[in-house]
Amino acid sequence: MAIDFGRWRGPIVVAGFLLAAYALMVVSAGAQAQDQFINALTIGAVYALIALGYTMVYGIIELINFAHGEIFMCGSFVSWWLLTTLGFTGAIGDPLVLGGVLVLTFITAMVVMGIVGVVIERVAYRPLRNAPRLAPLITAIGMSFILQNIVFVTISNSIVTIPQILPNTALTFGPIAIRQINLFVIVLALGLMVALQVFVRRTTLGRAMRSTAMDREAAQLMGVDINSTIALTFFIGSALAGAAGVVQGLYFGVTHFQIGFQAGLKAFTAAVLGGIGNTTGAAIGGFVIGFIEVLASSFGYGRWSEAAVFGTLILVLIFRPTGILGQQLADRA
Amino acid sequence: MTTTRIGLRQRLGPAREFLRGHQSLSITFGMAIAAVVLPLIVLIPPFNGFGTQKDFVGGFADAGVFVLLAIGLNVVVGLAGLLDLGYAAFFAIGAYTMAYGASGYSGLDTPFWIMIVVGAFVAAVFGLLLGAPTLRLRGDYLAIVTLGFGEIVPLVFLNADTYTNGTNGITGIAQPSLYGLAGINGFGFTNPWPYYITVLLIITIATMLVYRLQDSRLGRAWVALREDELAAASMGINTVSTKLLAFAIGASTAGLAGVFYSAKLASITPQQFEFQVSFTALAMVVLGGMGNTWGVILGAFIVYEIQSQGLHQLDAFAKSLHAPPISLGPITLDLSTINFINYQYLLFGLALVLMMLLRPEGLFPSRRRREELHEAAAEVEATAADAVSQT
Amino acid sequence: MRFTKLAVFGMGAVIAFGACSGAASPGASGGGGIAVKIGIELPMTGGEAPNGVPTANGVQLAVQDIQVPGFTVTISQQDDAVNGKHDATQGAKNMSTLVNDSQVLFVVGPYNSSVAQAEIPVSNAAGLMQCSPANTAVQLTKPWGSAKPTDLRKTNPDKIAYVRVATTDDNQGSGMADIAYNTIGAKSVYVLDDTQTYGKGLADAFTNTFTKFGGTLLKRDGVSDKTTDFTSYVTTAKGLNPAVVAYGGVTTSGLGLFRKQMAAQGLQTIPFVGGDGIVDGSFATASSFLQIAGDGDTNSYGTVAAIHDIPDAAAFATKYKAKFNTDPGSYSAPGYACTQIFLQALKAVGSGVTDLGQLREKIRAYVADSGNKYDTVLGSFNFDKDGDTSQHVISYYKFDPTKKDWAYFKQRDFTADPVK
Repeated sequence: MAIDFGRWRGPIVVAGFLLAAYALMVVSAGAQAQDQFINALTIGAVYALIALGYTMVYGIIELINFAHGEIFMCGSFVSWWLLTTLGFTGAIGDPLVLGGVLVLTFITAMVVMGIVGVVIERVAYRPLRNAPRLAPLITAIGMSFILQNIVFVTISNSIVTIPQILPNTALTFGPIAIRQINLFVIVLALGLMVALQVFVRRTTLGRAMRSTAMDREAAQLMGVDINSTIALTFFIGSALAGAAGVVQGLYFGVTHFQIGFQAGLKAFTAAVLGGIGNTTGAAIGGFVIGFIEVLASSFGYGRWSEAAVFGTLILVLIFRPTGILGQQLADRA
Repeated sequence: MTTTRIGLRQRLGPAREFLRGHQSLSITFGMAIAAVVLPLIVLIPPFNGFGTQKDFVGGFADAGVFVLLAIGLNVVVGLAGLLDLGYAAFFAIGAYTMAYGASGYSGLDTPFWIMIVVGAFVAAVFGLLLGAPTLRLRGDYLAIVTLGFGEIVPLVFLNADTYTNGTNGITGIAQPSLYGLAGINGFGFTNPWPYYITVLLIITIATMLVYRLQDSRLGRAWVALREDELAAASMGINTVSTKLLAFAIGASTAGLAGVFYSAKLASITPQQFEFQVSFTALAMVVLGGMGNTWGVILGAFIVYEIQSQGLHQLDAFAKSLHAPPISLGPITLDLSTINFINYQYLLFGLALVLMMLLRPEGLFPSRRRREELHEAAAEVEATAADAVSQT
Repeated sequence: MRFTKLAVFGMGAVIAFGACSGAASPGASGGGGIAVKIGIELPMTGGEAPNGVPTANGVQLAVQDIQVPGFTVTISQQDDAVNGKHDATQGAKNMSTLVNDSQVLFVVGPYNSSVAQAEIPVSNAAGLMQCSPANTAVQLTKPWGSAKPTDLRKTNPDKIAYVRVATTDDNQGSGMADIAYNTIGAKSVYVLDDTQTYGKGLADAFTNTFTKFGGTLLKRDGVSDKTTDFTSYVTTAKGLNPAVVAYGGVTTSGLGLFRKQMAAQGLQTIPFVGGDGIVDGSFATASSFLQIAGDGDTNSYGTVAAIHDIPDAAAFATKYKAKFNTDPGSYSAPGYACTQIFLQALKAVGSGVTDLGQLREKIRAYVADSGNKYDTVLGSFNFDKDGDTSQHVISYYKFDPTKKDWAYFKQRDFTADPVK
């Protein structure tokens, strides 16, 4: 490229993309463009949260963790269990109680799923770390079916209703009208992403993760405890998927034992789109997938939206396997 | 234990040598024995209580479809070491090719025997189309591309309803016919025998071809590639075309299976080709032993029978015991309320994980594959030991 | 030997009839007589068990209630669910198993149309009569689009071996359109379907009749049955501002979810119409439409492809509850009716016949004969030359906010109805 955009390249790409997406929304949805834009951002935020875990795990041990989508699904079931056990059935009016319950639900789901992720890594992936690449991939597929079917045989074989504790209020900021839940999901997801970036870039543990991703042996020689760093990566990635599971409950109010597979595959597409191993890219990729889905539906091709997402996956892998942002090695974690 | 095994080997030595030297002959011989023995299972208790001989033979013919799928997937996963997670897509393409070639929907009536070749060819072409751009990528990218492809193909058959009759699928697919040759014309919905014999023939031929390929230059290239891609490339093996051939051969076998499947069932819908089919075929290959065609055939047969018969019988058996519920502290175990059929995919998932951890070479391993996988395990131990000694 | 026989026949029966032993459950206690069987071929496990089990219970109840002198009728139970979902291959296989058992003279099932497509060729070739309590896809019996039912009956094109007591989707779609256009008074509609056989067929039929009435189709969308995100479709609906929204699908494929998300975006005032996938229990029923839709329950309407004014509806419900300790499901009575048809045929043609193969064919011919009338728990009807019931009654339901349940308000007979 003749012009060097330098450090502004990323923001310019993102801004250009959002503008183009909005223009397409206006073409397809007219007056509803703003609503569709918010729909896309919200579902995109969910995919982005899941994609982060995918990309972190891939970045550090180069494994496609097929069970990751099921972690998201299990996270939604944890929030269902907690909220129904606490006896909630609908929106909570008192903002203090609401805040407390939200914090409790997110922390519970994130910690529980984080631990599940670490256990899976310890039991199913670590013993195979030096085996042929095929072995852990097959184990990952197996783990995915195990998680899915444990929920299937023990909890429910059908749709489960999760209490939607956020009141359904619309907020207006000048010309922008947005429902509280959408704003909450988008802000939460962005907040978690920023927190992750800060953690990875500014802390010692984050530096350990980055160095392990770059060169495991060198990191080990420099005194990084490889096993606990990988475990930490699984914990954080799974916790983010757990948070996405809670969002699923808050936003849609339902869950099902089979939602993990498709969501996981879409999130993986997001990770690939953003350049696998690249956390910023995965977050952007998640939003791109959200826009592809909503645009397909908005243009009247809703029945093709999944095909469009998976078609994107194949095309990206064929023509630009490093993703839109590229595999920024220094940034991998 | 070991001594008796060696003893047996020595005694069977000459016979083994002969069979190894005449592979096609021994495959034919083995399949012929299987063809005769399998239908006799129904005479042995407790199997005689599970159904009529026709039920068994029909079930075996259905199992044959999965045996074929496993043979083909084994070429891709076991021999060439490429993980294909969208294998059901090629199965679907074969099945729909048959449906277009001979059904009331298309108005054509191409003989099944021609469609077998056409179906295999069309599936192979799609295999090439998908593989050509993606096989340049690293192995795990291939897994995800095939997974995406496996999702898209049924979606296309579902949504392009102008060309595929959409969600209703295609009905009235023609059954095979011998055109009264030799006075036999037995293919029908109530007589499973011709299907049983046909599928055994197809399996026999496929197995022969796979063994021939395995021992050919191409087969050796696959092994080289699987063990060390870089070394293989530097030895002058064209990695892309070698992988591509494995991919296309695997796809064409799935196409064959699809043609047979849709001719036997006579009606197909897009919902029959979802990810579960790919997953089941993968479980069969892994359990049977990646790389060993005989092992995979056995693995596929056993897994299919467990899924279609075993779990049902186990369920009925558990219930017929009328065992009183056992109380284990807070958990009550009541055999009569457990539905074993629901545990199918949980068991498959557990089997995949446990096999990879404990016996990655499968139940019936190929010698070469076992060595490779254990070599890797030994490396793990070595590095672990290194790590310990370092600290 | 005894154990293994028990094991086979009990395969799924026990799942359904928890209390009874694993054996083929004895029905007519006439003592002695020729032993014959009625097959049941339904999804009995996993997520679709709520569809199959109450239907099978209906069959069980009828076999116990009605005696046929000279015969002992037992049940051979098959399950077409694989991993909790109906499976066409398994269905065809089950049908072959039933065909191969010479004692089986009649089969009740299947529940799903895609399974029926795989089974009809088998039952047709064998001449074994099957009666579906629930199939509504038109193309199984009558030409619909490019599909011809004779494609399914290739072996014996003129021999009907499949009948159904549920009326077809074209009638049900017309019922939905009738509610939308005449009851609600809507002139414009936004139609969605779940891209599956039942949902898409229903949405097609609805659109067809609604536009014939003079209504306007604003937009037609299809949504994957696997998604939980309907927000963008709700936004589309918001922009179109239709007088009514119609959805072809079932609760598990997102019917309730869509309505719930409509309510979340403030569209619960727009009336919502669905087919019999929607009328699946009260607000208190787990995973039912009403429970999932929540605030979206208001202004929801649904149809059921069965007659509502059954003379002995209450008596049937009481009898069912006494035996199974639960209320009958939507297709318990149709399952019972199918069995009544078989037993009436057996009574009519069975005396003196000892050859089971001959008896199977006689029963098939009797049921296929459109001259024979049946008095069943669903009322009185016969089958036309294609095997469709002469009863084309659709019942209409509306959500009742005080009872938090569906309330029946009307039924309409679509036999020779001009709107079709």
